[in-house]
Amino acid sequence: MISNKAKKQIDIWVAKYPEGRQSSAVMEALKIVQAENDNSLTTEAIQAVADYLDMPGIAAAEVATFYENYNHKPVGKHTIRFCHNISCMLNGADDLIVYLEKKLGVKTGEVTKDSLINVKKVECLGACVGAPMFQIGDQYYENLTTDKIDEIVDGLRKKSK
Amino acid sequence: MAKIEIEIDGKLVNARAGEMLIAVTDRESISVPRFCYHKKLSISANCRMCLVDVEGAPKPQPACSTPIADGMKIHTQNEKAKASQKAVMEFLLINHPLDCPICDQGGECELQDVAMDYGSDVSRFTEGKRIVADSDIGALIQTDMTRCIHCTRCVRFGAEIAGIMEMGGTGRGEDMKIEPFLTEGIQSELSGNMIDVCPVGALTSKPFRYELRSWQMNSMSNIARHDLVGSNIYTQTYKGKVKRIVARDNDDTNETWISDRDRFSYEGLAHENRLLAPQIKVEGEWKEVEWNVALDFATRGLGNSVLNNHQSDQLGALASNTATLEEFHLLQKILRELGSENIDHRLNVKNLNSPIALDSNVKLVNLENMDHALIIGSYTRLEQPMVNHRLRKASLKGATVDVINAMEFDFNYSINSENIIAPNKVVATLAGVLKVVLESKQQELPDYLTSVKTDDVITELAEKLLAEGQSVIVLGEHVINNDSAASIANLITNIAKQTKSSTLNLSASGNSMAANLSGFVPGKGGLDVNAMLESELKAYILLDVYPHYDFHHSIKAIDALNKDGAFIISLNSFKDKDVANYSDVMLPISCFYETSGSHVNIEGEIQSFTASVSAPSDTKPAWKVLKVLADLLELPGFHYADSAQVTSEITHQSHKSHVHDENIDLTTKQGIQIIWQKSPYAVDALSRHAISLQATKIGQMNSASMNKATAKKLEMTQGDEYLGVPAIISETVANNCVFVNANRSTQAGGQS
Ligand code: SF4
Ligand code: FES
Ligand code: FES
Repeated sequence: MISNKAKKQIDIWVAKYPEGRQSSAVMEALKIVQAENDNSLTTEAIQAVADYLDMPGIAAAEVATFYENYNHKPVGKHTIRFCHNISCMLNGADDLIVYLEKKLGVKTGEVTKDSLINVKKVECLGACVGAPMFQIGDQYYENLTTDKIDEIVDGLRKKSK
Repeated sequence: MAKIEIEIDGKLVNARAGEMLIAVTDRESISVPRFCYHKKLSISANCRMCLVDVEGAPKPQPACSTPIADGMKIHTQNEKAKASQKAVMEFLLINHPLDCPICDQGGECELQDVAMDYGSDVSRFTEGKRIVADSDIGALIQTDMTRCIHCTRCVRFGAEIAGIMEMGGTGRGEDMKIEPFLTEGIQSELSGNMIDVCPVGALTSKPFRYELRSWQMNSMSNIARHDLVGSNIYTQTYKGKVKRIVARDNDDTNETWISDRDRFSYEGLAHENRLLAPQIKVEGEWKEVEWNVALDFATRGLGNSVLNNHQSDQLGALASNTATLEEFHLLQKILRELGSENIDHRLNVKNLNSPIALDSNVKLVNLENMDHALIIGSYTRLEQPMVNHRLRKASLKGATVDVINAMEFDFNYSINSENIIAPNKVVATLAGVLKVVLESKQQELPDYLTSVKTDDVITELAEKLLAEGQSVIVLGEHVINNDSAASIANLITNIAKQTKSSTLNLSASGNSMAANLSGFVPGKGGLDVNAMLESELKAYILLDVYPHYDFHHSIKAIDALNKDGAFIISLNSFKDKDVANYSDVMLPISCFYETSGSHVNIEGEIQSFTASVSAPSDTKPAWKVLKVLADLLELPGFHYADSAQVTSEITHQSHKSHVHDENIDLTTKQGIQIIWQKSPYAVDALSRHAISLQATKIGQMNSASMNKATAKKLEMTQGDEYLGVPAIISETVANNCVFVNANRSTQAGGQS
């Protein structure tokens, strides 16, 4: 379930904690395993992480279900994390989300047919100054307009061809 | 800890510095509401129900996690405290379904009680409430997770007491729920305690679902007799039936916990397989008759077969380990009055040429303070759950635990060195340990040890026992399958003496300590069970014996008892095909909780109990049956008005300590060895008839485990029937042995 490469990456984190406290590396381990499993975690994957770190499966599941960034359903290649908190909302985020949903033909939480993109509503990402905004991967996109959204989404589509 | 004085609600109370406030208020009977706090679990302080006002603190403080300090002034009832308690209560009820009328916890619900005191009668919450989907967590616990208030007692119970974290809190905020991770159901042998710790109706007893309200039942103290601890319980009864069993606190035995076996076995009482009427066999046909007819038939039978011809040495009495102290006493007294010493309860011991003699000399509470334990031949977790609980506590405090077993087991604490060896190597290993011990003390070696080999493993086992600190050597039940059992016990006695270790003899279970106390073993010139069966006695009295399960040499036993000409009186609480085949009279006796009597636990503590319900239909308590039988046989000294008089006779009689043979014989047989263990929920007829217990994973244990090499020798593959149970090939088993764990009758009995 966990590749040798991933195990090596996890071991780096395990080494940072005192002996016998390997379970402290659970967050990173889940992240690493998620990354190599199409960005989502199955029950088996969580159990595998738990086994690798010698901790109860449920304890790993508690962490995996607590944080937003662990996915438990298949996601697209790109996740658009659209902020709908106060500043973005006041600047029209809700309408833009509807626009984006229409453009992609999916609702938030769903994945496009080509498995390329999914949209997730998130809370304030600390970029209120450029509201409305969303995040794809590590990249922030600010001061969004419908045009800008077209450009970004089309760009993603082109890249994947 | 320093003694200090604090003031609670204007009253000065003494306490120890550092104690949590709630511990003090509980001791002083000052009521502070709580949900997440539980005296035997760690403090999580997450429900906030216990908020009280501490003078000087700006905000109310949780009593469960506020350590007290000298001079502290606390108000549990002032306006500030009351207002916070009310506010918390309102929050806790926001998502609670308030479905008390259909909730099994109704009437014994901590939430209901606290809401009566602190809740408001009108809810200000008009938004939609959340609903949590339930998961099926097995045959014993019913879940209704919408009622859960996230106190995490069940989660902490699993992680801290059961040693398997099975429940957990997943999700967060509004989506948080308490659930198990895997869908296989709860596996712990102590799982039922989650029902007791859950303050609301989220976790309730599945077999008891929708049966009754708590106030409709009578709670009566009783003692569970499935193991050597004798856990203290309440039997809750309604109209003469046991409806539920819950734990009763006793810090000397079971603290506040009981095993699932003790909690759910009562279901067997109502099983349709109960033997309900006396029966006699006339010309091969069973006939239901009145008690007096049956007893008359029994006495006449005894007369004709043995007594009239002065052949009382041809009479034998056997009993299973479920009998009470009083029953053991009366039956052995009858036999001895009649002039027979053929008395035995060790039906499941393979080799009785010399008895397994090993004292238990450690109190259960002291087990927790051990620095080291050596466990030999035991899956303690499932066989003696409450003993294991103490060992686990010791381990958590830092004790090391070594085991010598024929198979790897799933202990719920860490094992220092796990030695998996075949039964015939145990005696040599222990001899090696003794040798190392004696050598290290520069003592002379007895002859039998001179040629014994030692190695690193053996040396390490010995060194652990020799090290500073208190050790205990635990001898488990698997030894009864061992030809060298007596030598093993004697070696342990010697090792313990030399290393000043305590010993704990778990080689017999149920109420077998009572059998020993009452002298239910062959006396001078008497035959042990194996010898009785060999010598084809002419008459037997069998007390709650189920041959397929109880005898080690089960097939031989059934053959022997079926031989023509033997007159057999069987007292049973359940019907059994083989019993019906070989018996001439079947007398229906009451089962657990239907009779008064006593259990003797591993500490030698006699715990007496009264009947919680009366015996069903025509069944009678065995002690009464035996008393009447003795009267009909015109034996003197059986004028008892109640079982307590029998108990006092036993406690007043002087007990000669058994002289036993201290011989140590290191010779062993070669070849494939079979260890035959009843699965933990098949130890007696009552648990075998408890359907919910049988539906659990532990209840379903049915396998003959062996490693590849052994399987090859036996020409077995995974899943093949071996001695009546499916074979499992696993490298966790020692070479050359088969570990049979079965919840049904097998042909394993008496195999090599
Ligand atoms: S199920 Fe019961 S014990 Fe467990 S967290 Fe919920 S309320 Fe507490
Ligand atoms: S509200 Fe959108 S980034 Fe702060
Ligand atoms: S009992 Fe104190 S916070 Fe729950």
